[in-house]
Amino acid sequence: MTQQSSGIFNWINTRLPISNTYERHLSKHPVPKKVNFWYLFGALASVVLIIQIVSGIWLMFGYENTEEGAFASVEYIMRDIEYGWIIRYMHTTGASMFFAVVYLHMFRGLLYGSYHKPRELVWIFGMTIYLVMMAEGFLGYVLPYGQMSYWGAQVIISLFGAIPYIGESLELWVRGDYYISGATISRFFALHVVALPLILIALVFMHLVALHEVGAGNPDGVDIEKYLDEDGVPLDSVPFFPYKVLNALVAIGVFGIVFSFIMFFFPEGGGYMLELANFEEANPLSTPEHIAPVWYYSPYYAMLRAVPDKLGGLLVMAAAIAILFVVPWLDRSKAASIRYKGILSKIAMTMFIVSWLMLAWLGTVPVTALRTTLSIIGTVIYFAFFLLMPIYTSIEKTKPVPERL
Amino acid sequence: MEDTLTTRRKVLIGMTATVGAAGASIAAIPFIASWNPSAKAKAVGGPVRIDVSKMQVGQKIQVSWRKQPIFIIRHSKEAIENLSKVESKLDDPSSLKIEEPYRDLNPTRSTSGEYTVIAGVCTHLGCAPKFYPEIQPQPWDDSWIGGFFCPCHGSMFDIVGRVFKGVPAPTNLKVPPHYFDGSILTIGEER
Amino acid sequence: MKKFCFLIFLFLSINSVVAAVGAPCGDYGECDAFKPQLTNIESLQLGALTFINHCYGCHSLKYSRWGRISKDLDIPEKILTENLVFGSDVKLGDRMTGSMQSAVSEGWFGIAPPDLTLVTRLHGSDWVYTYLRTFYEDSSKPYGVNNMVYPGAAMPNVLALMQGQQILSCKDVPIIASNGGVRRDEFGNDITEEKCGYLKTIEGSGKLTEQEFDDYIFNLVNFMTYVGEPSRSVRERMGWYVILFFVVFTAFSYLLYREYQKDYH
Repeated sequence: MTQQSSGIFNWINTRLPISNTYERHLSKHPVPKKVNFWYLFGALASVVLIIQIVSGIWLMFGYENTEEGAFASVEYIMRDIEYGWIIRYMHTTGASMFFAVVYLHMFRGLLYGSYHKPRELVWIFGMTIYLVMMAEGFLGYVLPYGQMSYWGAQVIISLFGAIPYIGESLELWVRGDYYISGATISRFFALHVVALPLILIALVFMHLVALHEVGAGNPDGVDIEKYLDEDGVPLDSVPFFPYKVLNALVAIGVFGIVFSFIMFFFPEGGGYMLELANFEEANPLSTPEHIAPVWYYSPYYAMLRAVPDKLGGLLVMAAAIAILFVVPWLDRSKAASIRYKGILSKIAMTMFIVSWLMLAWLGTVPVTALRTTLSIIGTVIYFAFFLLMPIYTSIEKTKPVPERL
Repeated sequence: MEDTLTTRRKVLIGMTATVGAAGASIAAIPFIASWNPSAKAKAVGGPVRIDVSKMQVGQKIQVSWRKQPIFIIRHSKEAIENLSKVESKLDDPSSLKIEEPYRDLNPTRSTSGEYTVIAGVCTHLGCAPKFYPEIQPQPWDDSWIGGFFCPCHGSMFDIVGRVFKGVPAPTNLKVPPHYFDGSILTIGEER
Repeated sequence: MKKFCFLIFLFLSINSVVAAVGAPCGDYGECDAFKPQLTNIESLQLGALTFINHCYGCHSLKYSRWGRISKDLDIPEKILTENLVFGSDVKLGDRMTGSMQSAVSEGWFGIAPPDLTLVTRLHGSDWVYTYLRTFYEDSSKPYGVNNMVYPGAAMPNVLALMQGQQILSCKDVPIIASNGGVRRDEFGNDITEEKCGYLKTIEGSGKLTEQEFDDYIFNLVNFMTYVGEPSRSVRERMGWYVILFFVVFTAFSYLLYREYQKDYH
């Protein structure tokens, strides 16, 4: 670095904490030296967030947020704008990949007890991000205004009607009209493009600030802060930059392979990512044979359909997400990681995974009597995993957690 | 932690960075290209065809091309002969100051010897000049032998759109690319 | 990791146990397989010709533009304009908005013929391929035909001249017992019973043979698949290069990562 450029750098650096931030959060930020691939999904989630924002902005160049123009404008992007189809498929594939990555990221949290003290707030910010993502995905899906956009919106908005006393007025208020129309599209557009992304970015920032304050966990649940060297740096840590950044780079490479494979060869995702019914313009007079949400909502959709009562279904669905927030206080185990927990936790975890996957599948298929029964069973197992957790995590025998990595 | 940059590390960093940079540049292509005019814009901005066989001598008609008014004038032999008379009043009789697609082909400034095709956009501030073909004195010129007068700020042009000296407009009215196929005039592209 | 794989296996097995039997192609059952050939320009051109001559009279392709067809299908603009574009005021940049007014057609058919730009994406190319070949004579319907894939369709059998007469007939089929075995008589011959509801084309009644008609419809549906997503062949070709890039990038970044991992491993 020449005298000139270091001069400029110092001028900026005395006014903006560049070196300081670089050291605190990158070159001197300690992270556990031994983690596995489950720990890479957070970085991938931020990559997908950026992909969604950039592709979303570009989509706005061609999208028309009116009842008359919305559907045609998506075809305009696909055909008439140069490489518009790349941008569209990037955004739809990104939406599904966002949820895939986030579900795996959340699963890592359950697996290794990442929500244990002192990381409870990281978990809560994370769950809030998940909640906002679900809203964001729903709002975005309505915008192309195909048959599934319209009827999916119809179903979800009518859920608001289930709330006693205020339900019907709330429905009207959300829609902005007596039926789903241009008023609904334009407000959903504003929320999807500006309001929720801003909230999402703020939440992601808080999520990372909270994480950096307490440091990342590891698959063994070892507290690396316990054993420090003479400079106060944890013995079992490495600086985040360059070591973990390089790890993330490899993850991005592999992720790129998967993302591109889906985007260029199966952008519809077999009808689970881009539902085929959405290739027809919204028709309020004709309901599709089979209304189903996109795959990432399907476990909750299965739960909703399992309950015969409208308000009951809504409450069960809400509770299923709400219960995720309090997991840090449900888990009473002395060990954070599943590797050292007892047999009861392992059985519970297995049953939870199977029932979640089963519910996910059930949400995508038409209703039959057998499937409703299975949905009820799946829902019960799902809730049992959480509600019984204080019991089985305290009574089981855990293995001793190692001191060092 | 070792901080020395071995040759192996330099090479690996270099290769990864190069591959990454190449990928990022190629990934940028669709994002940049999508800004280009879309097929819809190209369709709307596409060439316009008109059949001029029904035009009378001395008549001017107007069509729209790329949201601009285009004047088409069918000249009498007399009007073309009169062109030399007005030359002394003109600022740029050979259209040297502007891009002139059919320079020196015809006095009409077109590929046709009978028709003139010009953009009806005054080169001063964009108003549409009015057509005054009659040879008679006008309030703006006692010895007017036909041409265009712009009502906004008084710029004057001759019957083939060339600008007069001493008026606000700096240059002649522009000639768009065009060609004639018999009596079918196509504005907006060359043959 | 092993646990994870086991769980995926468990989930997939449950899936197959309770999976229901769908009827994607209506009364016909499973649709006939259709694999598009989007780089077969000749097929696409023939399909385009068929569509414009037989379908465009009622069905629009309103998201598609003429000029794009000319470019993608290697049809020179002049030939396209002279042979396929009807209407002197139609420019190549225009969208293919169709020839029929919906108010009129609703009166004739009870429903306006839908726009077909996205029909292969909505129903699947194999559905459209099967639909166009399963019209059969049915005197109880207003236009004298019914369709096995879409029973009660209001569309007349536009291509009847090509296909010839197709009727529902009966044929002798072997009896299959509940354990999958075939019932046989004492000489070892299959015992048969008569089953009805099979499509049968009357030989020689159409301009094309059954095989020729299948090819004819293949080209048509190939074109319609192209129109559903004109950039598809480009997308699939580009995909290989993008994946290749990421494979190379992953390889280099992995080497780099492992090199630095030596510092603490």
